Amino acid sequence: MTTDNKDKQPQLLSMRQVFGQTLLSLAKTNKKIYVVDADLKSPLHLGKFASWYRHRFIECGVAENNATAIAAGLAKTGKVVFLTSFSCFSPAINWAVIKQSICYNQANVKIIGSHSGLLSANLGATHQMLEDIALTRVLPNMEVFAPIDAVETKKIITTLVRSPHPAYIRLVRPSTPQIFPQKFDFTIGKSHLLQIGKHITVLGYGPILIQAIKAQQKLNQKYGTSAPQLEIINCSSIKPMDTSTIKKSVKKTGRLIVIEDHQKVGGLGQAVASLLFASNLYPRFIHLAVDNQFGQSAKDYQKLYTYYGISLDHLLRAIQKLFKN
Amino acid sequence: MNITVPHPLRSVSQKLRLDLLNLVRDARESHIGGPLSSLDLITAIYFSKIFDLKKDHFILSAGHLAPALYVVLAHAGYFPQARLKNFSSFGSHLQGHTSTDTPGVEYSSGSLGQGLSFAAGLALGDPRRHSICLTTDGEHQEGQTWEAAMFAKKYKLGNLINIIDYNQYQIDGAVEDIMPLGNLAQKYIKFGWAVTTINGHNFKTIIKVLKKAQKKSDYPTCIIAKTIFAKGISFMQYDYQYHDIKNLSEAQYQRAKKELEKPS
Repeated sequence: MTTDNKDKQPQLLSMRQVFGQTLLSLAKTNKKIYVVDADLKSPLHLGKFASWYRHRFIECGVAENNATAIAAGLAKTGKVVFLTSFSCFSPAINWAVIKQSICYNQANVKIIGSHSGLLSANLGATHQMLEDIALTRVLPNMEVFAPIDAVETKKIITTLVRSPHPAYIRLVRPSTPQIFPQKFDFTIGKSHLLQIGKHITVLGYGPILIQAIKAQQKLNQKYGTSAPQLEIINCSSIKPMDTSTIKKSVKKTGRLIVIEDHQKVGGLGQAVASLLFASNLYPRFIHLAVDNQFGQSAKDYQKLYTYYGISLDHLLRAIQKLFKN
Repeated sequence: MNITVPHPLRSVSQKLRLDLLNLVRDARESHIGGPLSSLDLITAIYFSKIFDLKKDHFILSAGHLAPALYVVLAHAGYFPQARLKNFSSFGSHLQGHTSTDTPGVEYSSGSLGQGLSFAAGLALGDPRRHSICLTTDGEHQEGQTWEAAMFAKKYKLGNLINIIDYNQYQIDGAVEDIMPLGNLAQKYIKFGWAVTTINGHNFKTIIKVLKKAQKKSDYPTCIIAKTIFAKGISFMQYDYQYHDIKNLSEAQYQRAKKELEKPS
């Protein structure tokens, strides 16, 4: 994050690392916590969990379908099961198993999908999961979450351990700026206003939303007090969604930008558009998302954000376009 | 003179076959070949008293065998017999494929290949109880079954029992033509399971192997139960087209009923 004051540079933290640490510390007192893994314990920082809680770490190998139904069966014996993999495998390869064995059977399984979005830049199209939100939010009984940073990751994991519902949690690969202070409350179905503003609502989830904060800084630099004021909503609880906060904001601003590191189809933008239409709210609307394309490799994800139309510059252009009218 | 006394469960399964036939007639559309081939196996699991199904787990992986499970559950008193006539009707808890909405059903199924994994998860999480899974031979074309087979060996799930209804038919024809399974017993042996092949309609044998499987061991058990597709109704037996049936005619019904009522 570039700011004028280098002292204010946010600390970079890894969601994956914090996930591993959080689960390790929760498992100390909560003996019901199990991990069912498909050969990805190292990238998910579960090495310590695997050695400290050997009997609660179930290694399934590269077999996501089996791992998913194992997790469901295990959950039915009263355990809180974390099914860990990359999102390009789970909830992708195993979607039908998630539908039947987890969701329809109401098994208390938390699906952790790491390495989501174009942020897995160098890995190429097969590993840049851009469909996970669509695949999970469509399923009955499933809750869907996407933290913006490592601190929120910790809060979400801690909260979900106490929830009996199937859930999907979208994590990303690189370390990302810390947005939330260590002390804040996460509630299922509630969003967070990262910034209050009256001109344009900017809605999103995951680290890509940090671009909205940067955009405001740039606008302030350029236009001073006449800069458009963004209302930035962190919609980390994608399902259930905080419909009242979103509707209230859009009523106020009349302008909406949804930005996501995901396909347009099935993403948050479509969910919100559907919600607003059904509520007779018709804001001017721009949806910044990957549009019916596969990803590709790049050393730097910024190159991909530019190529696929979801960069900071694209966001600034969208803001200017909406603000002019 | 060689007189064999029929096993007491034989008369139970004979009654349940008739229940199943009536269910199929009332529903007008139902699976039938598989439910009839697997009925003796499910009857033995529920009524042999080897397992306590309030505590042990029975996972019907092949959800389309639902009619067989439903007649057994009704007979066992999980819900009133009269409800069988509402099978697959709107508002009935007896769905076309199994659902946990039905009292006594532990796993909602219909998509093949997942049940053995689910049963293995139960076996792992509940090591003091048995987890009995009923799969079909055709279902073994699903790769996930073999993922589960590897898993059960690795985690030494001695309390997991996979009973395969080996009736040799699937929707489009003979398993051997659609996708041959090769030597299934050898495959399971190579995967590290204890394997027994039996006649899936002989209660004495079924009970014997279930008792053996119940004993404590480090190996999961696979019971390959050779069964007769659409067992008991002569004009349906061995005919894959009776995987399911629409609009059973009155003549067909009467003929089938007569055959099923004959003392076996």
